[in-house]
Amino acid sequence: MTTATLAGTRSRRITRPLQYVALLAYIIFLGFPLLFLLITAFKTPQELQSPTPAFLPQQFNVDNFTAAIEKANLFQAAGNSLFVAVLTTVIVTVISLPAAYALARFRTRLRGIATGWILLSQVFPFILIIIPLFLVLKQIGLINNLFGLVLVYTVWSLPFALWMLQGYVVGVPAELEEAGAMDGASRFRVLRTIVLPLLAPGLVATSLFTFISSWNEFFFALVLIQDPRLQTLPLTLARFVGAEGQVQLGQLAAASLLATIPSLVFFALIQRRLTSGLMSGAVKG
Amino acid sequence: MRRKALLGIGALAVAGLLGGCAFGGGGTAATSTPDGPVTLTFQSLAYQDSTVAATQKIVDDWNADNPDIQIDLVQGSWDNVHDQLVTQFQGDTAPDIIHDESSDIMGFANQGYLADISPYLSDDVKNAVSDEVWETVTTSDGAIVAAPTLLQSYVVFANTDAFSAAGVTVPDGDSLTWDDLQADAKQLTSNGNFGVGWGLKQPTAAVMNTALGFGGTFFDVADDGSATIDVGEGELAVPEKIHAMVYDDASLDPVSLTQSGSDVLPGFLGGKYAMYIGGNYLAQQITESAPAGFNWTVLPPLAGSDGAAQAANPQTMSVSAQSKYPEQAAKFIDYFMNPENQAALAQGDWLIPASSDARDVVAEQTADVPVWARILKSGENLSGAPFQKATNYPQWKDQYATPGLQQYFSNSIGLDDLKKQLTDGWNSIGG
Amino acid sequence: MTSTAHAVSIPTTPKTEKQGKRGKRPKVGGIHRGGRDAWLLVLPALIPVVLFSVYPLAQGILLGFTDAKAGLNQAVTYNGLDNYTQLLGNELFWNSFRIGLIWAFGVTILQFFCALGLALLLNLDLKLRWLARTLALVPWAMPPVIIAIMWRLMLNPTYGPINGFLRSIGLPGDINWLGDFSTALPAVIVVGVWAGMPQTTVTLLAGLQNVSAELHEAAAIDGASTFRRFWHITLPALRPVIVAITTLDLIWNFNSFALVYVLTAGGPGGQTMLPMLFAYNEAFRYGNFGYAAAMGNVMVIIIAAFLFFYLRSQARSRLS
Repeated sequence: MTTATLAGTRSRRITRPLQYVALLAYIIFLGFPLLFLLITAFKTPQELQSPTPAFLPQQFNVDNFTAAIEKANLFQAAGNSLFVAVLTTVIVTVISLPAAYALARFRTRLRGIATGWILLSQVFPFILIIIPLFLVLKQIGLINNLFGLVLVYTVWSLPFALWMLQGYVVGVPAELEEAGAMDGASRFRVLRTIVLPLLAPGLVATSLFTFISSWNEFFFALVLIQDPRLQTLPLTLARFVGAEGQVQLGQLAAASLLATIPSLVFFALIQRRLTSGLMSGAVKG
Repeated sequence: MRRKALLGIGALAVAGLLGGCAFGGGGTAATSTPDGPVTLTFQSLAYQDSTVAATQKIVDDWNADNPDIQIDLVQGSWDNVHDQLVTQFQGDTAPDIIHDESSDIMGFANQGYLADISPYLSDDVKNAVSDEVWETVTTSDGAIVAAPTLLQSYVVFANTDAFSAAGVTVPDGDSLTWDDLQADAKQLTSNGNFGVGWGLKQPTAAVMNTALGFGGTFFDVADDGSATIDVGEGELAVPEKIHAMVYDDASLDPVSLTQSGSDVLPGFLGGKYAMYIGGNYLAQQITESAPAGFNWTVLPPLAGSDGAAQAANPQTMSVSAQSKYPEQAAKFIDYFMNPENQAALAQGDWLIPASSDARDVVAEQTADVPVWARILKSGENLSGAPFQKATNYPQWKDQYATPGLQQYFSNSIGLDDLKKQLTDGWNSIGG
Repeated sequence: MTSTAHAVSIPTTPKTEKQGKRGKRPKVGGIHRGGRDAWLLVLPALIPVVLFSVYPLAQGILLGFTDAKAGLNQAVTYNGLDNYTQLLGNELFWNSFRIGLIWAFGVTILQFFCALGLALLLNLDLKLRWLARTLALVPWAMPPVIIAIMWRLMLNPTYGPINGFLRSIGLPGDINWLGDFSTALPAVIVVGVWAGMPQTTVTLLAGLQNVSAELHEAAAIDGASTFRRFWHITLPALRPVIVAITTLDLIWNFNSFALVYVLTAGGPGGQTMLPMLFAYNEAFRYGNFGYAAAMGNVMVIIIAAFLFFYLRSQARSRLS
């Protein structure tokens, strides 16, 4: 045993517990708010207003959930959110697929422009875009209209979807296509039978990601949707916070939990792919 | 070369951008006579269950009786109504019938977004509301841009058990001076409990309204909505009193000043505060969530050196200038204003109807609830205040008055700084 | 809205570019024919982007030089630099700018150190790693509005567990974190850090996994301490990833809106009035559209200038 590794084991004996302490601190910091949200959702108003609150709810009471659904019009909002997110996802996937293929395979000037735009679109504050966008949409009658929102979300999710997807295209070896072409298959056939199946995981990841970002979006919806019946979930929830009246912490927590579930589920589905697949795949080439 | 050509085209396109697009928000819709039934949108801001139900009932009754003018009720929120209306007027998507409050709408009226409804209102409705209150919804050129519905005043709720426990007599009489309030609060403060809890997270409205009791009018408004500000002793009397109760007497809980009225309510119900100051609408929440055996009342109206006056800032019902059917919309408002409807709404929110006929109905219907008499009485002292007509009041309120008052109440600036902030702030947004 | 996503993609950019240069360029078609095909394929994506983001953006920039305002049938005229001279004297705007910078730098820096710590831990073979890893990802999937609601509950002065904890250990437990002048901004920054942890952690973790293990072993055999190995091997290797992620975090944080809108709406007394909130209010509360767009222009210029200097200094120090 060399001195170096010996020193290593000795220092490890000291650092390991410290590492666990740090990890535990992170787990509390990251997890406690979520736990607390969960607990609050099951507490009765009396428990919430008690001057000496107990940490756990006395009983599992689902009144908050039913009340939130009814009062905040959660189902209607969820329906709107779902409509917008699904339609956006479909459109984005359909139009970004060919574009991503082009960006990945033909390294023209387009690629530079696209990269530039993707970065640029991050720098510009939305306030600069929203006012004229509002006017453009007004002229074509899409203010206060879910289709207008779909249009905006499509445009603003597109850069990322494109970028993510073209990463997957790069990951499909061009040699496969060449081989296919040599066998005499038509270009389209090559794409459909060889490239598309290999891209399937990438398409799933991209579309779920688009879904989540549409589902979560707030700013554009805030400005473009004024009819309470057309509100998306984040808008409805933000209103619910502001609503004066009784302290409705429990209902607020319940509504928040319900609204998080879809994106959490989808996220769980792509999480592995996002973190391992995309990361290691794209980073390591 | 190609890049240059592209740039050139781009520049041309950009130059044409703004030209092609008039920015000024949709024009006034040409009023038309409907061929068949029309449907009008009415955005209500009622939020307490009782008032929401009352509003729904009014709309349902109307729809049953008026097949040609159907009202589509949508639910808005007080929280963002101003931003929402700015956006809606700009996007030409405003509801036909708009529920708001007078201090918020006069700016919209000056921008031309609200229709003059005076030709369509019946004499009964006009006569039932005092001229003072009509004044708060009339523009300088005489157009009535809203019907005033319910009024709020700031009242003191008292936990009568806490009073008797501390051996303090519950104030009675026509009014309660701020000095007496302060003295009682001091006596009621002991071992961790405070004499007063006041949810003043949004302090400006409360200060503007109660300042009138000390002759504090803040503004001198010209016909076009521009105004000059004068912040003197009368204007600052109430903030000073609050400050003294918090920092000299420790009888007003400083934390409550950073919270909303509803946030402070549990403290009142739980015995932490013997008195609880807020809008009279909070009475509805007290009745709903008070524990069994909780005894409370409303104290006489707070009075300053000029008596118990407070500013009348009525809730309003307006018709959008962009509405295609202003006459039909105003007809509904006229119906909405009838005494029975107003009385029902008022009781839902524990607010005071602007219409005297409706006040009589409420008094009759609530004869067995003594607290109501006090609440209705507080309405007698409400009169118009200049700030409602100053176009830039909402912006001044957000950007200068609210931060300034909050800082003063958290003891991070002094009275002179507050005065300077209020004055300079108004001047910097161009009055 | 896609901001949540980019963290993953950007660090990969240099690699994929490199790949291209390395000559993986496909021989299908050939460059010239490919060019036209490429345009055709890209067109369906290009048209909406041009119509609904490039065009409005250009119009927005121009709007910043007009006096556009709310009002029925308002005429709009160009007023040159009037908006900007007015902005120069607008104390509230600059104050909001200052708050925006404190917020953006505060969140980005804290987020970076927290995320680096977590990424290093996740890179070790510890028990419970799966739990920390899962929890670290959850904020990513949550709408900012809900994160804000959750933290409002946490920070609630009477009911919130943070005050509850303080009370239980005998400290004053009645602080209204989001309502008090001195605590509002720090509290909001902590929430910002929580919300942005995932992107930063995941990116750094991926970077860590790419650091050559051989170098580490060699250094360990030479007797280099853990800290020295981290400083001399891990950190330099991570550098491009760090630059990319901190740059992006900074931009996103500076432009963020929903989180603080729901947490405090800029209050108390403007203490958390981020520039985006300020400009939003100017446009959609007070109806001064031209003026608000001018604020947007100023924000862009300042961010762009900052990015330019930051990225240039990073590029230089990498060369030297």
